[in-house]
Amino acid sequence: MSRLHLSRRGLVAAALAAPAILVGRARAAGTIQMISHRYPALEYYAEKMRTAIPGTTVNTQLMPYDKALELITIAMSSKSDTPDIVYASDAGFQTFVKNGWFRPLDDLWAKYRDEFKLDDFPDSVRKNFMHDGKLYVMPHTLNAMMFFYRKDLFDAAGKTPPKGFTEYRDLAKSFNSPMRSGNVSCLKPVDAAINEAHWYFNALGDGWFDQDWRPIFNDAKGVQAIEMMKEIAQYAQQGFSAAANDECTIAYQQDIGVMGLQWATRAKAMDDPAKSRVVGKIDWAAPPQGHARMGGDGYAISAFSKQDPDTLFRIIATSASQASIRGAASLLIPPRTSLLNDQELRQANRFYPAALASYEVGTPVPSLPEFYAVGEFITRRILQAVTGEMAVKQALDTAATETTDFLKGHGYYK
Amino acid sequence: MLYPLSYAIWLSLFNYDLGSGARDFIGFGNYAALLVDERFWDTLNRTVLIVLAAVGLEFGLGLLVAYGLYRLSFGVRTLNLLMFLPNIVTPVVAALFLRWIFIGRWGLLSATLIGLGIFPPDFLGNPTWARITVVLADSWQFTPFMILVLYAGLNTVDQSQIEAAQIDGAGVWMLLFRIMLPSIRPLIVFVLAIRLMDAFRFFDTIYVLTSGGPGTATETITLYTYALAFRLLQIGKASALGVLTLLFVAALIALMIRLVYRRERGAF
Repeated sequence: MSRLHLSRRGLVAAALAAPAILVGRARAAGTIQMISHRYPALEYYAEKMRTAIPGTTVNTQLMPYDKALELITIAMSSKSDTPDIVYASDAGFQTFVKNGWFRPLDDLWAKYRDEFKLDDFPDSVRKNFMHDGKLYVMPHTLNAMMFFYRKDLFDAAGKTPPKGFTEYRDLAKSFNSPMRSGNVSCLKPVDAAINEAHWYFNALGDGWFDQDWRPIFNDAKGVQAIEMMKEIAQYAQQGFSAAANDECTIAYQQDIGVMGLQWATRAKAMDDPAKSRVVGKIDWAAPPQGHARMGGDGYAISAFSKQDPDTLFRIIATSASQASIRGAASLLIPPRTSLLNDQELRQANRFYPAALASYEVGTPVPSLPEFYAVGEFITRRILQAVTGEMAVKQALDTAATETTDFLKGHGYYK
Repeated sequence: MLYPLSYAIWLSLFNYDLGSGARDFIGFGNYAALLVDERFWDTLNRTVLIVLAAVGLEFGLGLLVAYGLYRLSFGVRTLNLLMFLPNIVTPVVAALFLRWIFIGRWGLLSATLIGLGIFPPDFLGNPTWARITVVLADSWQFTPFMILVLYAGLNTVDQSQIEAAQIDGAGVWMLLFRIMLPSIRPLIVFVLAIRLMDAFRFFDTIYVLTSGGPGTATETITLYTYALAFRLLQIGKASALGVLTLLFVAALIALMIRLVYRRERGAF
């Protein structure tokens, strides 16, 4: 019987060679890596990608938005050849494009226009994902923040959805109780807090920036907007300052809150008897005074991927095909014209009227590639104001100074 | 070890910004900017406060339990094993458990208290409670380490010294504080130094529990480093902050050793 003889040098050589062999095998096997944010519609699309091309393995990793954004940033900034397919929102994709991390899709779009009926995506939707005239992301969802409210409680109290913030505040106060908060708020930095601040700044103030990207969120109207946010936050659920969309969705489903802002893509989950205690009790309307966040999500191809771009595009396009999006129509606002106009879908999904109304009065976030970076300063200061660590005016002025300094360092205001 | 450290120091000398694409040599510019940065000092103060509270609590509890185990005549091994369990759970996983315990209203703790008719505070949403919660979370995970090391230390104390003290009429606490603790002083310095160094890197638990919030209530220096590197993409400045943290912790440990051994040069 032969004995296995291992020398120290042999072990070192084997240890060095193993990763290369394993990586080589993994890549040769054609496993495509996808990283994405996670919510029900995106879980559906991930499944569609996994089965898009028979014989091609797609490994999908889904996680909360901030974590996905950070993981993608870490991977792309190190020019890693994984991931291959990357989630992108209308708000965040410009950062990646500006850094050269995404591959333009125009050539592939033209090549597969007929096969995947790509003209069905309206220009207004594609425009959300274009930078310097080039398309970088294939749209998969349209989304808008809607006003979620407990219709049964409103009806019992003889109330209707508020038309303005003062009415909203008064309703939140009147519905508030230890066991059920009058208001559901999601202020976890960065993304969730941006969503909510965006509504206040745009509905009550003049928005985030002027046309030269100078902060205006700290002007008198901006301060009033955050004062109002702080006042309404008194009636928010426990843990609101660390709550993102998942926690807020649970707050509605578990009968812990009465009303608030949430994405249209979360509406269907309210009627899921396996997860919700309020099936049929939640209704939706356009947010009071409009100007809540709207936008969309999609998928892009990494500029560093070593996989065949045609294969990657086909996977993305298959998951965004008309049939695929129709299957997800109860979980989102479809980004294809044919589906948006489909009366059957409109009737089958009771949140559609409110979602479309919210989309029409919505406002996209500023198309500033550094928006999420400066959002880190701004949301942190807003949270300090809302939790009473700092006066509102002081917090917003500090955030504005930090934002200006940061953008100056990135070549703005020359 | 030297390569990553040298690389971090090298990067800290550059205005290396992934967002703008800049990579300019600026010498100690990042250090100068950090030293006048209000957020740096705020996070440093907060880190010191949280670390001292957590390590202090861990040491106090650890010492009490270790001494209790020392005096116990049966079941020591089983108890030691059971108490060590939190320490072998991966910090992120432990933090996820703890998040579902402390989360408001539907968390295990809140739901239980509500079931008993007590309306609980907002453990993760109130700034003061959030700080207390992260200290408790860290203590839950790392007190077992203190117990294990201190218990082992107490068992090394010379039995003849203990017996002599007992003959002289020393009680339980006098025995602990006047005989046993002075005997294991090098071990105490060692375990505190290890925990202080470790606690300064406190990241995973806070990241999962509060993400540094509410507001900035639990933002520590490592969370600020993370924000600089992966949210603001300022790699140079983040590296400089990492180096400053290293220097601070090294100075703290050196000071601690110097204070404890000021009369016994060369003892450690």
